[in-house]
Amino acid sequence: MSSNDKTTDTLSTQDARMGQGADDRFNSPLREAFGSTPFILTKFDKFMNWVRGSSMFMLQFGIACCSIEMIHTYAIKHDLDRFGAGVPRSSPRQADVMIVPGTIVSKFAPRMKRVYDQMPEPKFVVGMGSCTISGGPFQEGYNVIKGAEEVIPVDIHVPGCPPRPEALIYGVAKLQERVANGESAPVTVKPYEMEQFGDLEQDEIVQKLADQIDEDDLVMRYNWTDSP
Amino acid sequence: MTGPLQATTLPETLSGLLGLNTNDPLQWFLAALIASALVGTLMLTNTALVIWAKRKITAAFTDRIAINRVGPFGLLIIVADAVRLLSKELIVPDEVDRPAYDLAPLVLASSALLGFAVIPMGNGIQIADPETGLAYVFAVASLASLGLVMAGYASNNKYSFLGSLRAVAQNLAYEIPLVLTGVSVVIFAGTLRLSEIVAAQSETLFTLGGLAIPSWYAFVNPFAFVLFMAANLAEVGRNPFDIPEAPNEIVAGYMTEYSSVYFVLLYLGEFIHVFLGAAIVTTLFLGGPAGPVLPGIVWFLIKIWAVFLFTQWTRSAVPRVRIDQLIEIGWKGMLVLSIANLVLTAVIVGVLV
Amino acid sequence: MSLEEPRDAKPEIGVTDDGLDYDALAALLGDTLLDREDHVTTEGFVVRPDDVQDALRTLKQEAGFDHCSCVTAQEYQDRYESIYHLKKYDDPTHELSVVVPTSRDDPVSQSANDVYRTADWHEREAYDLVGIEYEDHPDMRRILLPETWQGHPLGRDYDQTQPQVVTLREHANPLQEDHMADDTDTMFINVGPHHPATHGVLHLKTVLDGEQVADVEPDIGYLHRCEEQLCQQCTYRHQIMPYPDRWDYTANLINEWSYARAAETLADIDVPEYAQVLRTMSAELSRMAGHFLALGTFALDVYGEFTAIFQYAFRDREIAQDILEDLTGQRMMHNYFRLGGVVWDLPNPREEFFEKTRDFLDDLPAKLDEYHDMITSNEIFQVRCVNTGVLEPDVAKEYGATGPVARGSGIDYDLRRDDPYGYYPELDWDVVTEDGCDNYARVLVRMQEVEESAKIVEQCLDLLEDWPEDERTLQSNVPRTIKPEPDTEIYSAIENAKGELGIYIRSDGTDKPARFKIRSPSFSNLQALPEMSNGEYVADLIATLGSLDIILGEVDR
Repeated sequence: MSSNDKTTDTLSTQDARMGQGADDRFNSPLREAFGSTPFILTKFDKFMNWVRGSSMFMLQFGIACCSIEMIHTYAIKHDLDRFGAGVPRSSPRQADVMIVPGTIVSKFAPRMKRVYDQMPEPKFVVGMGSCTISGGPFQEGYNVIKGAEEVIPVDIHVPGCPPRPEALIYGVAKLQERVANGESAPVTVKPYEMEQFGDLEQDEIVQKLADQIDEDDLVMRYNWTDSP
Repeated sequence: MTGPLQATTLPETLSGLLGLNTNDPLQWFLAALIASALVGTLMLTNTALVIWAKRKITAAFTDRIAINRVGPFGLLIIVADAVRLLSKELIVPDEVDRPAYDLAPLVLASSALLGFAVIPMGNGIQIADPETGLAYVFAVASLASLGLVMAGYASNNKYSFLGSLRAVAQNLAYEIPLVLTGVSVVIFAGTLRLSEIVAAQSETLFTLGGLAIPSWYAFVNPFAFVLFMAANLAEVGRNPFDIPEAPNEIVAGYMTEYSSVYFVLLYLGEFIHVFLGAAIVTTLFLGGPAGPVLPGIVWFLIKIWAVFLFTQWTRSAVPRVRIDQLIEIGWKGMLVLSIANLVLTAVIVGVLV
Repeated sequence: MSLEEPRDAKPEIGVTDDGLDYDALAALLGDTLLDREDHVTTEGFVVRPDDVQDALRTLKQEAGFDHCSCVTAQEYQDRYESIYHLKKYDDPTHELSVVVPTSRDDPVSQSANDVYRTADWHEREAYDLVGIEYEDHPDMRRILLPETWQGHPLGRDYDQTQPQVVTLREHANPLQEDHMADDTDTMFINVGPHHPATHGVLHLKTVLDGEQVADVEPDIGYLHRCEEQLCQQCTYRHQIMPYPDRWDYTANLINEWSYARAAETLADIDVPEYAQVLRTMSAELSRMAGHFLALGTFALDVYGEFTAIFQYAFRDREIAQDILEDLTGQRMMHNYFRLGGVVWDLPNPREEFFEKTRDFLDDLPAKLDEYHDMITSNEIFQVRCVNTGVLEPDVAKEYGATGPVARGSGIDYDLRRDDPYGYYPELDWDVVTEDGCDNYARVLVRMQEVEESAKIVEQCLDLLEDWPEDERTLQSNVPRTIKPEPDTEIYSAIENAKGELGIYIRSDGTDKPARFKIRSPSFSNLQALPEMSNGEYVADLIATLGSLDIILGEVDR
């Protein structure tokens, strides 16, 4: 990952995000061993895709305004559980889908990345609201990450500020459809990746912080100018 | 080998059906194995149904519909959920205490399953019927706390650790009232053998307008029944006593770090445990598998599902108490009450019988 | 500390029948007063950076300014300035600003932390965003931005494009040695920033002694969305108004009023009476929605996840949102107010709207009874909530607590009545207070406030129904661009669902504010959390946090 990071300067952001290894999240060692895709595995894959698309545990995860509409989506009138996606788990270890409901700021991005990393594969992300697309109304803020995709790959974007519960349901249903069809998010490389502090290039900022931060600490470095 | 009241156990029936020799230890073992597999499958099927039922019941309490897209009434969610959870990545965090971390889910799930070995489920479905049946059930049911401690301590997570400590404190505080209340039933029935306890409840207590009310201990001693239900809620960790899990305080308690297969085992174990609690309640207080018209096993299932429904009801409607209040209720309230109940029962039984 | 000193029985200095006598207050300060400035609703007393404590203490103890509402910091071309906005809990119309200029080369000023406990966080924020340092401050660290942040973003020479490095230190390894104190058997635990109980992204650094909380320190800034900077980049007329909706995102509409009130007073804009009624009604509907959410999430904390109470609360909130959607066109981010009025009249046909809203109000008593049955009269709930998270009135005042939190501690303080605006003075309603000071009292206050809001909405509906058709003026005449006089300063506040939401605006003659500062009630209320939960159990810490009903969008802005 970090080797890809270094090349972001020369690649366009989109190319950098696409990277290599896109779409290989479902490829099992078993299939690699076979080399091709035998019939039985295709059927099995189909079944597994159906399974993953029919039932999802959501991560109980609230960030900002959108989380209020997200709760409404779970609650009485909209009832996301009809789609088999209404069980919020508070521990990321047991969740399949992370709905990112709100603005991500610099202080929170590393934490969100950590939570995402704690989820077991296969995992999916629904970006809820404009803030997870581009930073939304707060895009010009000094502290705001310009979209969730800067930090973690997002499968479905639901636009709106905030999206109505119906829109979120549509987004989740769309995600289920995509998963059931065996499609996954092409995004595997992110501009902001957590790195060990000691590995960062020694520029002015890193030197300034050198005695404050332990070499082994994980850090996220924001190059605001590279953001879209 | 068999008492006068005792029905034949399932392995014996099976031996008869399959023509196995009960005196040959190997063949006897085979029969017992098949019987256990049958009962285990029955209970696991029950628990699998919970995946669907729990969501539907909660939805009914909260004016929602819940799953209705996957299969008829959303029933296929059971397949989907189970396979999906099993197929997820198994994350074993760094620095977990390896054997304990792996064993804990097994201990939790199997300890609860073990309890069903001696529960009479009607229609001769009972794997074994030892004289100390009740003591055995309580013993294996409390093995679960061991599993919880292992899970919490081995996870290398402070929330899990807190959760498991809570679980131990809670189980200590509630095991004693639970057993003492159970003992009051033993005093009535005069035996620890579960089949005999069930048999003792089949007599008619009184007749109400032509309807014979059986002498279920829930009717004979409602006070003990209420006590037992409350203590049982704490024992299986449901609201208002779900503090070892308390998702809003300590995330998911001992479960926090578990994913995939291990999580399935913990989840199953938790619900098998609820069902074991329900089965104990059914056997001790609700006349076991007895009931009119329908076969015994159906009545047994209806009764344990009724108790399960009760746990879901409290889960939806009752606030969670705090850990210190829980301990206080346990040691200062329930224990005193259960001892009073025991003494009272002893006096009544001593005077009347 | 001043807490123990008895309050003066004699009339406070500077109080006259028709407001404050600033000359008398100036005389009270004597030599410490350098200069006097004119602000729109009050006066600014300029004091030297090393006289801050003396001046504030004198004002607090002798003139009765017991409420430090806000601390605004800003950077001018030639100097830094911190402004302490003082008020009185007894009468919030008695306002005074204490202005402390510091030089650009050495921006050090005395901390007011000793006089007002609430100044602690406000000064940390000033340091974080503007770069003024405060002497004698117990804990001069960044509060909103990460510790490793470079530069002060609201300062004049901040370069927004420079790279930043943010660590993940707190969560590196929860069992790391340095998290355990050597001599005690306490345990350090991170609650949040991703935790089901924090209702957003709050981080509580908690030290536990067994199950009891030995120490808790809220760590905020995980939702710092630069609202002040963004408002400073927008024009007064239309561009700022959408942002207030996103501060307190549970009761959105009321926040718009804070900006509307500040800007209208600043630019001297009148609001037609009909628009005032509409504003009042919509704001109260919004307050109800906010309180339903507070009730629901509090139930989430005490009952467990996704229980019946939680769902019922959201059912009712949904209806309030529907009505607001009919009125404004959006479920949450209404953007309904305009400077000088509101954007639309009631939806057509009006009768339908009246009927729908009245249905909601008619059903409300039965629903509230249901809540009382299920929540407040539940014995386990009472055991959990009575006498937990106690916030004594004196402490609440020290921390600048307002809103239901203050009223739950028996402080009779509500800006709708005490510093009237909108149509509130013409309507018949009561300010709810409870003397319990605990979690239970705060829940009760919110539930009764829903009833009061319903009363207000009811009266507004009557008024709107009978309003003559040719007098339905929605907006007054407002110039296309608003350019207030240079260097006009205003601090004004309204009562939103969480408490006193204040806005400070300084104009520089352009069509954009030179400094836009938000005083959010949740920010001050959250500051009292350690005071309320130290020594309590973990479960009560969570419940207390829930009963404070903080909204992180408003805390971090």
